[in-house]
Amino acid sequence: MGLQFMKLVIVGCGRVGAMAAIALSKAGHRVTVIDSNRRAFDRLGDDFAGEMVLGNGIDEDVLRQAGIESADGFASLTNGDNRNIMAAQIAREIFKVPRVITRIYDPMREDVYRELGLNTLCPTLTGARQIHAMLKG
Amino acid sequence: MYVIVVGGGKVGYYLSKHLLDRGYEVTLIEKDPRRAEVLNSTLGEIVMVGDGDEMAFLATTGMERADVVVAVTGDDEDNLVTCQLAKRKFNVPKTVARVNNPANVRIFKTLGVDVALSATEVLLDLIESELANKETAGRSATQA
Repeated sequence: MGLQFMKLVIVGCGRVGAMAAIALSKAGHRVTVIDSNRRAFDRLGDDFAGEMVLGNGIDEDVLRQAGIESADGFASLTNGDNRNIMAAQIAREIFKVPRVITRIYDPMREDVYRELGLNTLCPTLTGARQIHAMLKG
Repeated sequence: MYVIVVGGGKVGYYLSKHLLDRGYEVTLIEKDPRRAEVLNSTLGEIVMVGDGDEMAFLATTGMERADVVVAVTGDDEDNLVTCQLAKRKFNVPKTVARVNNPANVRIFKTLGVDVALSATEVLLDLIESELANKETAGRSATQA
């Protein structure tokens, strides 16, 4: 990546969100994690150097509080496809964040939004492909 | 005219009922099968059980020939995605969304929804204009 240290906003502090946040923070980036459930932040552990914002990741005010206006990167990783899609579009179209990634479980919806220009990640598809490849041997 | 209403809560119910009364062809989409059963027994067989954001399901609703799609669930993110799919994948000419957080009205319009309506915003505007009227009336009364 071009920038040495980036300001990153992650929506969703589940397993994937928390792991990504920990790794990116350890790599020296300034990470802010948003989740609507305070207990989700427990996944980050005690030595997490980033910031945590309690709230809804599709709420503009919450996103501003998390510093989205000056963010270099954004990832929406909650367990809701539509929430991720909406958060990513707000980051991209309203706040003009340069790098935006969103996770979409439903392959058909992922297809639609990839066509519309979102950087999408579909664990259903990649998982299924991997299983297929492993079973084939 | 064919209208698809997504979300069978109170708003979706009354909207469908009045659209039917006015002679429109209506399909109401509701994801909870038990709620759908209640709706079907009062509205006639116009309810389909499914998710308004599942592409495969939407393809079975005849969405490609709908004139209007109205998304009125209680979740803004679901209403947004329903309208975007209707517009981009099924070429529906007009999409209308209920917006719960008034701040999302602007966002919905930016993201391609034709009409975004927030009851909260409408009420706020009414209250504000009511107060403004009173102030003006009060002022002119003092001046007189």
